[in-house]
Amino acid sequence: MATSLSYREKSLYASLAAELVVYGPYFFLHQQNSVNKVAGMIIGIIVLQTVLQLVIALVTRNRVTDERDRLIELRGYRAGYLTIATLMVLGLGMLWFHAAVGHMRLDNRMMGLHFLSVFFGMLVIADITKTATQIVAYRRAL
Amino acid sequence: MPAIRNQIRELRALREMTQQELADRVGVTRQTVIAIEQDKYSPSLETAFKVALVLGVPLEQCFQYDPRGKR
Repeated sequence: MATSLSYREKSLYASLAAELVVYGPYFFLHQQNSVNKVAGMIIGIIVLQTVLQLVIALVTRNRVTDERDRLIELRGYRAGYLTIATLMVLGLGMLWFHAAVGHMRLDNRMMGLHFLSVFFGMLVIADITKTATQIVAYRRAL
Repeated sequence: MPAIRNQIRELRALREMTQQELADRVGVTRQTVIAIEQDKYSPSLETAFKVALVLGVPLEQCFQYDPRGKR
């Protein structure tokens, strides 16, 4: 049976595409150690998400959302929260470990930018996990 | 076998009602009606009552609970 995409599904695919397009170059082309690149990325994701969501809202006639959408959304947020909590514990543990054994000095600018990227990366991974979990839930019918 | 099964597809077919029509009248998406008909999603009590009301049958004719089924 053919199941066309609902408004929420289209919105999620657009979000995932925007996240991959904007965050991909930042992390995979090693542009992390630049404040300008971080600012550009944040502006980029806001603009791209706004445009994509606007287009989807305009071209989708039926924008009904229901209890199943809300349940899937909650599942996504749970997956995202578990991801970010796990990554934060690991990240803070590693930071504590390196600082405790004296492997790194935490008082210089590059190290600050490095940790900005690490923790920003955790946010991005958690956000992508949330979106991907929701897409999988929709594809599996729940 | 799922714990909650339903006869929505058959009842809907008898009334020549499309999934979209049922969805619109119940206030859910067509994808949710599809998921319910495929026993992949158990609706809330409120939605279950609305479905039965729209199809014009008692709730237990629409939905059945099997305690040995898998949630």
